[in-house]
Amino acid sequence: MNRFVSFIEGISAHWISRLGVTLTTSSFIVFVFLEVLSLLGIFTNAYLGLITYIVFPTLFVIGLLLIPIGWWVMVRRSGKTSSELLSEKFSKDEVEGKTFCSRLFRIIGILTIANILFLTAASVRTLHFMDQPHFCGTACHKVMNPEWVTYQQSPHARVKCVECHVGEGLDALIDSKINGAYQIISLTFNLYETPIPTPVTNLRPARETCEKCHWPQKFLGNRLKTYVHYDFDETSTPRYNTLNMKIGTGEESHAKGSHWHVAERNRVNYLAADEKRFVMEWAEVRQEDGTLKRYSNQIVINQPQESSQSIRTMDCVDCHNRATHIYELPDLAIDDQISKGLMNRTLPYTKKESLGALIKSYSNKETGIQLIAVGLENFYRDNYPKAFQSSLSLDSVVTVLRDVYHRNIHPGMNIAWGSYPNHIGHRKGPGCFRCHNPYMVDDEGNAISDDCTLCHSLLAFESDDPFRYMSPIDTTDIDHCMQRYLLKEFLREY
Amino acid sequence: MKVFLMFLSISLVCVSLCLAQAAEETIAGKCMTCHKEKTLGLYMQWRNSEHAAHNVTCLECHQAGKRDTDAFMHEGALIATLVTPKDCGECHAEQTEEVENSYHATAGQILESNDAYLAHVAGGNPVAIAGCESCHGANVKIDKNSPNKLVIQCWPNSGIGRLNPDGSKGACNACHTRHSFSKTQARQPETCGKCHLGPDHPQKEVYEESKHGMAYFTHVDAMNLDADRWVVGQDYFEAPTCATCHMSETKSQKVNHDVGNRISWTLRPIVSDLKDNWQQKRENLKEVCSACHGRVFVDGHFYQLDGVVHLYNDKFARPSNEIMNIIKKNSSLESKAAFSNDIEWIFWELWHHEGRRARHGASMMGPDYTWWHGIYEVAQHFYFKFLPAARALNDQEANAYIDKLLADDPMHNWLNRPTADLKNDIRSGKMQAIYRDMFKTE
Repeated sequence: MNRFVSFIEGISAHWISRLGVTLTTSSFIVFVFLEVLSLLGIFTNAYLGLITYIVFPTLFVIGLLLIPIGWWVMVRRSGKTSSELLSEKFSKDEVEGKTFCSRLFRIIGILTIANILFLTAASVRTLHFMDQPHFCGTACHKVMNPEWVTYQQSPHARVKCVECHVGEGLDALIDSKINGAYQIISLTFNLYETPIPTPVTNLRPARETCEKCHWPQKFLGNRLKTYVHYDFDETSTPRYNTLNMKIGTGEESHAKGSHWHVAERNRVNYLAADEKRFVMEWAEVRQEDGTLKRYSNQIVINQPQESSQSIRTMDCVDCHNRATHIYELPDLAIDDQISKGLMNRTLPYTKKESLGALIKSYSNKETGIQLIAVGLENFYRDNYPKAFQSSLSLDSVVTVLRDVYHRNIHPGMNIAWGSYPNHIGHRKGPGCFRCHNPYMVDDEGNAISDDCTLCHSLLAFESDDPFRYMSPIDTTDIDHCMQRYLLKEFLREY
Repeated sequence: MKVFLMFLSISLVCVSLCLAQAAEETIAGKCMTCHKEKTLGLYMQWRNSEHAAHNVTCLECHQAGKRDTDAFMHEGALIATLVTPKDCGECHAEQTEEVENSYHATAGQILESNDAYLAHVAGGNPVAIAGCESCHGANVKIDKNSPNKLVIQCWPNSGIGRLNPDGSKGACNACHTRHSFSKTQARQPETCGKCHLGPDHPQKEVYEESKHGMAYFTHVDAMNLDADRWVVGQDYFEAPTCATCHMSETKSQKVNHDVGNRISWTLRPIVSDLKDNWQQKRENLKEVCSACHGRVFVDGHFYQLDGVVHLYNDKFARPSNEIMNIIKKNSSLESKAAFSNDIEWIFWELWHHEGRRARHGASMMGPDYTWWHGIYEVAQHFYFKFLPAARALNDQEANAYIDKLLADDPMHNWLNRPTADLKNDIRSGKMQAIYRDMFKTE
């Protein structure tokens, strides 16, 4: 013990070294203390994590560095040689050369190994901490909050951020840390854009990440989906859109559908005309047998633009650009909530009034959340006092609307309705029609098909019955031609 | 056996026709599927139209033949965007033929006319397209690289004299706007008002000023505009619209899509002339009038109209035209190009704008257009713009003509006489007597 104390005293000979010893020792003790607390589950806060896993290991290393620096300064100042100083500060038997080396040197060696072990363990813990969604979502609170909120509500809520955003391998890790360092700078100096742009260019290759769980061989046949829209009338009448989505790859025995784009034997490349990849300059498909067909955008060709984009091979995120951070559109969000049974439409004009309350422009989020209730209450109190008094449904409507508002509107980051279009389908953004439009034409003048039934059969379209077009054909009905076609088409494709 | 074979072949034909019809309907069903989503308005117009009610679907009009230069493959069907009178004529043969032989159908040949010259030199190509051709009709050309194979300068275009790639002339949707193709709409004055308005031919404004227009706007709800049969006097009686007088059914005349079939005067050119077979055409119109008016009333209207037309012709149009001919013949104009000299613009507005306004005003009972917007402006510009501009050219022959006109012509020599004398002549009827013969038309 004495020997240890004298060692400590010896290495702390200069005040800089002393500071280093103090820093290293205290940050080690606090780190261990906090780590124990976090392992016990007492602290889970991401900010505390930042301190535990980033600040203390850093201070620890700085302290270690200060010790030799102090010695070096002392050597320079005193004008003596290192060995003279060593003899001065340590007892003779410690400095004396032994079989291997001096005892002092051995102590330093052992302590260095201990430090390395500790740092390794701390780094592992740090990296582990930084891999937690909680860290990503809450450490940079203001900037990441919208993404964190939407992520928690998404189908990928149990997939860690890093599994998609970092990927695997050392290079991915290093990339992400360099990127993270820049993000700390941009956060500190307010260099980030609001809303933060969708990271279209620097995401991990989707096929590497997404296909760990969703691989193309599993995109089978068809999927039947009914989307309900509610009218703006008094009863918020439901209108059914039943689609038989064709999602197969068209390979082997699989039916051909939208995943044809990522089928093994097809490679779809494109060159976007704009940074957001909303407008295509051209798109081409190269098939296994070497055939190549390119469709060029007649509008872009006629008005040449400086394209700063590079050629890209289409992958999952070109359509599933909002697989996790899903921002809804107000009317579709309400439709969704009603059709899921989370919001009932017993109040007159539920849909119309809800939408009105939701899309009003409020000065900030707190006011918005408050005024949604006030607006609706006033409306029903003034116009439908009976319904207002007798019904509990207004409370449920307000709760749901607040929830929708809370997860979609983020004034601090300039995120409003529609800030982040969703490319899946074509109801919430340009989607499919970025390529599937009459202006994308091949050399012979044939356009990429934008036929609705290319991607889905229609069993009902804004109809009062979810299977409207499956009912017997009545030739006196003006829509009978359409119905006949849709019926045939569905049966053929199914 | 023969009977059996005949029966068999007839039934085979019937069955194949039915199958073809079913196939066509299925394809049309595909069109509707997407267009109901992408162009819902278009689909709804069709859905509420008579065409839909009679099972006339997309391909009946838009199906193209392999030889059609504007044909293109669209989602598995060979179609054409442009629907021409030839297509409409498949069902509406009589109407199409009437249109093809009408003055309307020649409107696209405007490219050879002065109006087109002026638009191209003084205006420029964009205005010729969006202005002139929008009413008159474009010469529709083919562009293989265009999504619908039509040159974008020519499409959209619903000009009434459109020159179509299939050789036909006209566009039925100039009046029967797609995709409703509503006869109700074609019967309303607003439809004609897309083109027949403005400083050079304000038929729409004249109509609005007239008793006919007033009555129409007052009783528009009683006009029975959407009736299948629309006979003036029987199915409606409060007022006529443009269509009533110029095209629609009367007790003894069928609907006629040749819009000139009831017009006796040409009120368009510098000097108005009577059209071929004008007596019959005038009788046709008088028969429309007589659904509501007595014979003497009707005759009186035409008597008054003829007076104004002759007055304009003889007092202003012929002399000014003669002066222009002289100065052109003698090359007295300063600049070579047509419309590069001030006097050409003055003369142009004299007949093309003001002169027409006077004639149209008189023909459709618009008093203000006949006088203040019409002959008043003609006279003022003739005496104080046109003649001074002509004299400034120092053309001896023209000057001699002008001097003689102002000295000898009783319609013009008032300029040299004392006001009191002229007033006496007006009071005594001597002034009016100068114009006595103008009411006669032979």
